[in-house]
Amino acid sequence: MTVGILSHRRRDAHEIPPAGVAAGESGGAEAGSIGETAGVHATTRPPVLRADGLHKSFGSTRAVDGLSLEIQPGERVGIVGPNGAGKTTTLLMLLGAIEPDGGTIDLVGERLPAGRSRAMEQVGFAAGYLPLPDRLTVMETLDVFGTLYGLEAPREAAGVVLEELGIAHLAGQTVESLSSGQATLVGFAKAVIHHPRLVVLDEPTASLDPDVAMRVRDRLEWMNAEHHATLLLTSHDMREVERLTTRVVFLRAGRIIADGPAADVVADAGYPDLEAMFLAEAARLRGEAV
Amino acid sequence: MSSASRRRVLAMAKRNVLAQRRNPGHWFLLLVLPVVDGLLFGSIGVAFGEGEAPVRLLVTGIMLFHLIWQLTLAGSLGILEEVWSRNLMNLIATPLTEREFLGSLGLVGLARTVVSVTMIAVVGFGFYAVAPDSAGWVLVPSAAILLLFGWAISLFVVALTLQYGDSAEVFSWGILVLLMPLSGFFYPVESLPDVLQPIAAVIPLTKVFDAVQVGLETGTVAWGSIAWAALGTLALLGLVVWFLDRQLGRFRRLGWVTRFT
Repeated sequence: MTVGILSHRRRDAHEIPPAGVAAGESGGAEAGSIGETAGVHATTRPPVLRADGLHKSFGSTRAVDGLSLEIQPGERVGIVGPNGAGKTTTLLMLLGAIEPDGGTIDLVGERLPAGRSRAMEQVGFAAGYLPLPDRLTVMETLDVFGTLYGLEAPREAAGVVLEELGIAHLAGQTVESLSSGQATLVGFAKAVIHHPRLVVLDEPTASLDPDVAMRVRDRLEWMNAEHHATLLLTSHDMREVERLTTRVVFLRAGRIIADGPAADVVADAGYPDLEAMFLAEAARLRGEAV
Repeated sequence: MSSASRRRVLAMAKRNVLAQRRNPGHWFLLLVLPVVDGLLFGSIGVAFGEGEAPVRLLVTGIMLFHLIWQLTLAGSLGILEEVWSRNLMNLIATPLTEREFLGSLGLVGLARTVVSVTMIAVVGFGFYAVAPDSAGWVLVPSAAILLLFGWAISLFVVALTLQYGDSAEVFSWGILVLLMPLSGFFYPVESLPDVLQPIAAVIPLTKVFDAVQVGLETGTVAWGSIAWAALGTLALLGLVVWFLDRQLGRFRRLGWVTRFT
């Protein structure tokens, strides 16, 4: 059995309130912030991210092939797919780090690449595999990144986020002296210090022990609920994706083959859960019958 | 420049200084190397020269050479620090622009040149009685041209680093090691083998040191040499900026960022 092209069943954002927030309530702050009255239908708000017809090839390899994606404020979206499906290339294009061969990207209302700098003031990024700069203490690192994000009082903001993550005691330590789990938490603190509208996470809990991974997930859910932060993440941990996201975008060879709530996506494809679907797709890529 | 932009430049300069503060190698290059250079060239001038002229030429020459040297080091080590830390992607995912990043490298480079040149000036004056302003007013345009030249080399190394990563490290000092003997810092270019003299003649630095030599001997400013050096340096800078712009375009188009993650 192979995974076929599935019908797009993405729910509108207003159907998926952030955890702990009633439907319709989550749009209030956002709507107010753009001059709309509370209660206005969520889908009338501008999307946090709109990518249209993205193409990217590296030599003869087509990494992303006509991908279009729209993410509404407050959504929690997971991009999944086996290695080579185009997840990282897609994320890097959405962050402005790689220029698409074709298509357009509007990030928090700014068209890339011209508006990249303005857009990134409202975006946070962390990757489990990405270390922090050497030779700086945790506080110095957050101070520098907080300033880059435009915070007026970055050290105070750093103190708050470290406290919230339960790692205030690490403030004076140099980054090199941290364990991999602690470093990932600090990287996460760096990504959310400025309360971004969109948090982009690539393998956020890779290499974390279950306790620390749970703290990161709790923090993400809290940010989504309290600050209406939109989450966009990739992960190879399908259970994590199922828990954290309200919508799954499944990629194959740079194309979206399924888009919707995880339960609907796996049900449509005839699998018991996302992990089974992922394994089947990976096996299909290897040319094995499942 | 907007205030947000200025704050980002200063934040990156601060990051650079903080990183350098905890790296003993940086301290060596910033404080020890200038002293060693000052002692080395000052003593050679005393040992092999007749009168004060040789020692003045050598000490002034090495002092001016450090303007290029430290600026180039700041640029290349600044970006290499981010490469070694695999921090480039972290920076790209912030509002920091390429110009701001480069601006911070320039700022740190200028600070390094002030420290380094001061060290050599102290050594030259203290041990060899060479006043740092021995060459007179020619030092002002010469320093400006050398800083621009150093900045051009810096940007060139940054452009190469985008493509080759830390393999480009060798260029940060290799280019200067190549230029040093060819540009007549410490001797007239006529001392070079015949085959190398035409190459030396087209390097803008040669004209700067011609002018400095004239300044040391006569106290006047050889504006002709300065003008040629300025034009050559501006042309070089233009070429390097074009190359860097092209490299940045390729960095984004070809996804080179994945080499640094």
